[in-house]
Amino acid sequence: MAWIRSKPFIWFILPGFLLYSLFSVYPIFSAIQISLTRWDGIGKKTFVGFGNYGELFSNPELFRQLTNALGHSATIFALNALVVLPAQLYLAYLIYGKIRGHRFFQAMIFSPQFIATPVIVFMGTLVFDGNIGVFNKLLETVGLGGWTRPWMGLPELGIYIVWLLVAWSGIGVGMIFFLGAMKMISGEIIEAALLDGASYWGRFFRIVLPQIKTTILNMLILTYIFAMTLFDYSFILGGASGGINRSVDVMALFFYRISFGDNSAVGGTTNVNAMGMGTTIACVMFVIVFAVALVQVALTYRRAED
Amino acid sequence: MRLRPKRTPVSAAILWIYSLLTLLLLCYMTYQSLRPKKELLSATFAMPKQLGFGNFRKLFAEAGFFTYLLNSAGILFASLALVVLLSTMVAYGIGKFNFRFKGGLLLYFLIGLMFPVQLGIVPIFLLIRDMHLLNSQWAVILVLASGLSMPVFLLTTFFAKLPHDLYESAKIDGAGEWTTFMRVMFPLASPVTFSVCIIMSMQIWNQFFVPLIFLQSESRKTIPLMIMKFTTNVLYNMDLALVGSVMATVPLLILFFFFSGRVIEGVATGGVKG
Repeated sequence: MAWIRSKPFIWFILPGFLLYSLFSVYPIFSAIQISLTRWDGIGKKTFVGFGNYGELFSNPELFRQLTNALGHSATIFALNALVVLPAQLYLAYLIYGKIRGHRFFQAMIFSPQFIATPVIVFMGTLVFDGNIGVFNKLLETVGLGGWTRPWMGLPELGIYIVWLLVAWSGIGVGMIFFLGAMKMISGEIIEAALLDGASYWGRFFRIVLPQIKTTILNMLILTYIFAMTLFDYSFILGGASGGINRSVDVMALFFYRISFGDNSAVGGTTNVNAMGMGTTIACVMFVIVFAVALVQVALTYRRAED
Repeated sequence: MRLRPKRTPVSAAILWIYSLLTLLLLCYMTYQSLRPKKELLSATFAMPKQLGFGNFRKLFAEAGFFTYLLNSAGILFASLALVVLLSTMVAYGIGKFNFRFKGGLLLYFLIGLMFPVQLGIVPIFLLIRDMHLLNSQWAVILVLASGLSMPVFLLTTFFAKLPHDLYESAKIDGAGEWTTFMRVMFPLASPVTFSVCIIMSMQIWNQFFVPLIFLQSESRKTIPLMIMKFTTNVLYNMDLALVGSVMATVPLLILFFFFSGRVIEGVATGGVKG
């Protein structure tokens, strides 16, 4: 008892440690173990080694779905990194410079963050639907009636619609993070730049961006993890099957479909092996996320150490 | 700081257009929710013949909106209370005391930043099934409350920087470890706790994936799942989809606009994970 008495921190850490270990850490290791078996979740587990991984990459139907979903996740990441991230930096800098009306702007740009994903998708329908959508009506009004399309239902546009909704809803958070980082830049640095006569945008590129590069890197990593594990938008838009021709399918949805079913059989083996193949896909996703995420944990740990 | 640009008319225009479009979209949705279903679909853009709260009455009386609201609120408060209490305790333990493997333990808690809940959902599902918690709100609460990485990180940084004198003087006054924590340390952390609450509430309130997996019966489901139910059959349920969306969105946004300064500050403080 004396030993435990001299270590009061154990009682503070233990409850959180247990809950976190049980639901956040253990599942990852358990998933790796299940992925080495053939299992439907109820019956007998059979150890198959790396058989599931072999099947995932050699079964043409599964492999086609894997590359399709991975391609879509990568598209979302690329568009977020190349379009949304610079836009967030740009907006953050304008608000940082206290442009007239900046309080209103920052609240408006951030507000979609409070809107649940199904509502965001529904708002997408209100704008882009073929029959009741505002966008088509707008096209007709300005005399471009020939361009009207059922935008939400076109398979070739599917993933871009997903991206558009993701971008609208998420642009505010990154902007606020960048804004927070910009406000941390010391006044002296800015003043020195002002004395040097650097222009408004010159200061942006030469002073502000280099000063917040760690935050930018961190945001890039978050964007990557987010894109690779995106689920809600695709599920709501296209259901478990991932839409017409799996046009909005993404990695997490592919994984969900195999693990929890979508009422339509994919190849013959997946139903009796739902848990085995499901966790196999999760582990592949994990590897895809892991390498990049490790950098983020290292960065965060260094910040906590300071 | 004289940072204001001389003139950025193009940027100002972009900001105005973008912000007003967002505002307009929200107003448009609210306006349409006041129209009867027949008019909505047959004369979407015509001048409204009648506006009223009929759809809202239908949502409250027939669609059971308050059940979903209560479920969502229950899950939010329970998970938030758990997250705040547990993460403050862990962070206090790691940040304030010195022991071996302290750094390793912090790293262990940070690992969760790499594992979005999607990746471990199959084993979590099996765990919850073995605990006989399928279709129970506790499943959702436990899983969401276990995401301690971000709050532990924020709070550990806070406690590590806190002067040690505070702890010493509480000890001299004869307070036990637990009393010191509850009476002195927990209240001191409230600015960081506020930030944690804001970020976690946004995540929990709009959480879609975890309730989707664990809640099957309609009487247990949350607001995002309710809206999903209406929007999957959108032509048939146009009126309910609209009022449901409005009720899930507009009151919350009005609240946000009143406190936007503080909320945004809270989010900026927690700029690790969104």
